[in-house]
Amino acid sequence: MRSRITGATFAVSLLFLAAACSSQDGKVWMEHNTHFASGEHAFFSLKNNKNGSNPKVTRLDIEDSRNQNWWGIYPITVNQSQILQN
Amino acid sequence: MQLRFVISAVVLVLATAGPVLAGPSDVLIPLDQYTTAKAKNLATVHQRELLKFSEYIYHCLPWLAVVKNGIGFPHPKGAEGDDRYLSVWVNVDQTEDPSFEAMPLPRRASAMFSRYGVHLLKRMTQYSEITSDNDVQGFLVVLSWLKPGTANDKSPTTETIALFVDKPTVDDFLAKRIESSAFTERAKYNVFDGKTLVGRVPLEIWEDNFNSTYKLKNYVVEEGQHC
Repeated sequence: MRSRITGATFAVSLLFLAAACSSQDGKVWMEHNTHFASGEHAFFSLKNNKNGSNPKVTRLDIEDSRNQNWWGIYPITVNQSQILQN
Repeated sequence: MQLRFVISAVVLVLATAGPVLAGPSDVLIPLDQYTTAKAKNLATVHQRELLKFSEYIYHCLPWLAVVKNGIGFPHPKGAEGDDRYLSVWVNVDQTEDPSFEAMPLPRRASAMFSRYGVHLLKRMTQYSEITSDNDVQGFLVVLSWLKPGTANDKSPTTETIALFVDKPTVDDFLAKRIESSAFTERAKYNVFDGKTLVGRVPLEIWEDNFNSTYKLKNYVVEEGQHC
């Protein structure tokens, strides 16, 4: 009985996935498999209206965005020692 | 009961996850990193004004990001002896822009310095305790921005201009007692493409009031801060 329920659930899940997502959607989802990219993203979304009306952006939101935008990317930039010494 | 526990746990994780953010005090050159007594003394005596300057950029110019150890009294390469300059190094938040990309590098450097460099110099001269200190030789401004066409590269490249100049020249320039051409003649500066030294390019400076007029949409200044 339990295996039948498990099998049915699996089949329904497959049908749902097939109906709702194209292969491209699936690929994107697999690459970003959470709704929010981060805790900061979640907080920002929760404190502002879903339709984007009257959002409030604080300095911390900007700092969060800046940090997360650059995650994993290391820009090629001049070293401080090329310009100054302490 | 269990559900409440799970919600509390999720909120706690969300609240503590993510990188530690740098505040205004985190970008000052730490005292123990100065290599001479003169520099360390300047940074100690003027810590309050350095912090005020950092807070001003942090809260009032959120499109600029001061780099780590970006504010203090370093010795610029090429300056004399142990001359010390009130310094700031910022990254300018900028995405790809076709009109900016169309400009040659000297024009991009000129546009950046006209917009951000002059504004920062104006602000720096307002810290009277620092500017009246005889051990402060002048001002150093370093601006870095995204090199056009590299935003989507695996490692984006920045372009940088580093300019330092003595106090009397800055005063004369800001008071319009000398032309901008005289200012750039007296100033020492270099431009970098990534890590590569390009050197001294022709620099033009013009009026640009962006920083005093631009309002970031929906941006809310923190309570107690005045811009």
